[in-house]
Amino acid sequence: MTIPADDAQQKIETYLGSVRARLRGIDETDVRDIVTELRSHITDKVAASGGATPARVHAALAALGAPEELAGQYITDNLLAKAEITRSPVRILDVLFRWASLSVAGFFVLLASIAGYFLGGSFFLCALLKPLHPGTAGLWLIPDASGDSTISLRLGFSTAPSSGKELLGWWILPLGLVIGCGLVVVTTRFAIWSTRRYRASRPLPGN
Amino acid sequence: MTVIDSHPTGQSVPDPWEVQLRKGCLELAVLASLWNGKLYGLEILRRLEADSDLVVSEGTVYPLLNRLKTLGLVHSEWVESDAGHPRKYYALTPAGKQRAREMVAIWTQFSSSMSKLLAPLGKAK
Repeated sequence: MTIPADDAQQKIETYLGSVRARLRGIDETDVRDIVTELRSHITDKVAASGGATPARVHAALAALGAPEELAGQYITDNLLAKAEITRSPVRILDVLFRWASLSVAGFFVLLASIAGYFLGGSFFLCALLKPLHPGTAGLWLIPDASGDSTISLRLGFSTAPSSGKELLGWWILPLGLVIGCGLVVVTTRFAIWSTRRYRASRPLPGN
Repeated sequence: MTVIDSHPTGQSVPDPWEVQLRKGCLELAVLASLWNGKLYGLEILRRLEADSDLVVSEGTVYPLLNRLKTLGLVHSEWVESDAGHPRKYYALTPAGKQRAREMVAIWTQFSSSMSKLLAPLGKAK
């Protein structure tokens, strides 16, 4: 039994719409390209199998995998490619945000990466601000009322804590730069490594 | 696809090691399929299925092509087809050809040394 061309087209468009919705964040021209290519592929597959029956349309879509799986592949592949070209944290975080919206693994990688970049950036900034705020910027050990102490990385915009002790002095300048850069590099590697691990662990959709 | 049928032991679940091995070869296989000229996605899939024993998943190949394009290893162009819709053709860039040659060199070296190591196992069978 063949189904009316409109019904088949409707089913295909619903699938493509679902993939497209999950590709937000990839450049708009790329998304258009991806969707047009998938439509062309599905049309060819259905035609090659003998025409549009519900089963053939279903089989062609199933072979591509569920929309979220397929979009996930595009997004993680995109992340790996971008990471190979540029190691910019902004690009990496940008793609991690898309990935996080698709999977729990992506969400945790995003959280860890934000934490890593934030801490790295803070050390870097602290080192840069030390010459401007020589008395207040740095790594401080601050005792609180309960007798406990907290370690605080201070950029030095506010006044120095009254009972605190600055730990590194001018050493924060070279150390902050090195630790800051190190954390950014390690976080980037972690993001790429976890993306590869995730991709390696995925079943092949459509099988 | 062919995982279940082609599996040597006839078991219904593919060996995860085998799956990883095949996946790892996919990038080289796609570059190799384009060596003789431009092809569109479905042609690449058919070429891979016909000429290699790779388990080819459509949902993996299209994102992979997209990545190879981002990396500058392939370029693509839209060509109007007789079927009435445009098809996206891929071709290797000079960088893609270079990368394919490098991968073939690594592959050849690796497979010949592995074969040497594995030779006694084949005879024991």
